[in-house]
Amino acid sequence: MSAGRTLRLIGYVTWFNVRMLLVSEFFVLLTFISPLIFATLAFFLFRLGHGGSGQTLLYAALGSGMMGVWSTTLFGCGGAIAWQRWEGTLELLVNAPTRYDFILAGQTFGAVIFGFYGIVTTIVWGMVLFGMPLQATFPLVLPLSLFAAVISLGALGMLIATLFVLYRHANALGNLLEYPIWLVAGLLVPLTRLPDWIQPVSWVLAPTWGMEAIRGATLGDAPPWLAIGMCVVLAGAYYVLARVVLVYVLDKARRDASLALR
Amino acid sequence: MTLASLCDEPMTTTAAHLSLPPVTADPGSLRAAWRIFWRGGLMSYGMLFNWARPSIYFPTLIGGPTFQLLFFAALGSYAAGRSPAYFALGNAVQVSALAGIFGMTMAIANERWFSTLPAILATPANRIALFAGRFLPFIANGLFVSLYAIAFGVIFLGVRFEASTLGVAGLALLVTVFSCTAIGALQGAISLRLRDGLFGANLLMLTFLLFCGVNIPVASLPAWMQVISNLLPFTHGLAQVGGLISLEAVIGVAYAVAAFALFSYLERSARANATLDVR
Repeated sequence: MSAGRTLRLIGYVTWFNVRMLLVSEFFVLLTFISPLIFATLAFFLFRLGHGGSGQTLLYAALGSGMMGVWSTTLFGCGGAIAWQRWEGTLELLVNAPTRYDFILAGQTFGAVIFGFYGIVTTIVWGMVLFGMPLQATFPLVLPLSLFAAVISLGALGMLIATLFVLYRHANALGNLLEYPIWLVAGLLVPLTRLPDWIQPVSWVLAPTWGMEAIRGATLGDAPPWLAIGMCVVLAGAYYVLARVVLVYVLDKARRDASLALR
Repeated sequence: MTLASLCDEPMTTTAAHLSLPPVTADPGSLRAAWRIFWRGGLMSYGMLFNWARPSIYFPTLIGGPTFQLLFFAALGSYAAGRSPAYFALGNAVQVSALAGIFGMTMAIANERWFSTLPAILATPANRIALFAGRFLPFIANGLFVSLYAIAFGVIFLGVRFEASTLGVAGLALLVTVFSCTAIGALQGAISLRLRDGLFGANLLMLTFLLFCGVNIPVASLPAWMQVISNLLPFTHGLAQVGGLISLEAVIGVAYAVAAFALFSYLERSARANATLDVR
């Protein structure tokens, strides 16, 4: 399969998945409403403690938006393979002439891109209701930061999709892993406030560097090249791991004839 | 052949073998109502509450609340500069809503999804007993989750109670969990008409975090938000003052009555319009 056709396939599946998520009430809540509520909560809390300067509000808005991105990634990718099983499309997709990991990549990128709508929503919310200024110290680096965050979270989504399929109740894992990653990735609370032993955990998480890249481009003193680079490195590592797990899971499912079984 | 004559014919051996023993209990009796309340409630918990299995229960109702406490304790102490214990206690009470809201929504709405609703509504069972029976297991479950979270807060996040206020705090917790389960019942009744009942349940959970003094003191909220706060569960219960606990109880009873009234209305409406199973 040529590179052009592969990209076209991933792009098509991404767009298809975004459209599917748009009609899901659960994902609309997760992406658009939940970040607004968390942003409002954060705005009030920061106002109580820090007086609510423009920079603080932007910090809170970006963090709350990224919380929505993580939730969408977690639930959208965590259940991706399980949903295909329930809908009876998994066998068709696995046996199609195209590689299944490309289809899964499109699905997870769709969930992540859909999640990024949440960041836009929280920024508009903060500007309209809380008088938050819209600023970026490195506006030309910002699109690159966003792109790096999307690919690293998308690749992490692929890994989550392949790992969660090993657990029968993927949504329960989603319920478990929402808050800890919000905390450990430093989305609203700086990592320096957390115990030292947590920091190495945060270094291997895409949301940590994705957030760092976006915040660096908007609020930072220097361009966030390290964070952007880490996003790319982590994306590669996640993809390789996801591919290894996927090949193992699919081979095992074929051997045991358990592809459609839960 | 008329229906009456069909019934008068002797049953075949197979039919007689499969037929159930005759029901001797009067469906209007207190004993029958008690049985529907107690056994029906327990059965509905086991069968309709999707999370009542360890592989879902522990990640969702124990692990999730644990991290919620840690997250808000860290966020609150950093952003607002208040003690982590304040946020830990508020969230420890709020997590009871996981059982109350989601549980009651499942207990009512899943009757439709599992196609057992027509069978239930076709019986002459006492509706109040039927409806109230669904409450108890979720109140107990909510209390358990909250007590676990409070214990976690006491051990790790510095939550402390004075011995003299323990009784009031316990009563406040009980009343708050009841009122939360009652609004969950209302949400469950509403979800009988919705495509996705859990949308409303999730929205309520988020609303409690913002409006009810769980993380932000109600007095710090704008006036219009305080009006909403005063109509929701948790707000008065979290204050732990005698008069406010009775107000919390009144709010809980009001939601329970509203839920039952809506359930009854939807039952009548569904019968009249033949829309019981229409989604």
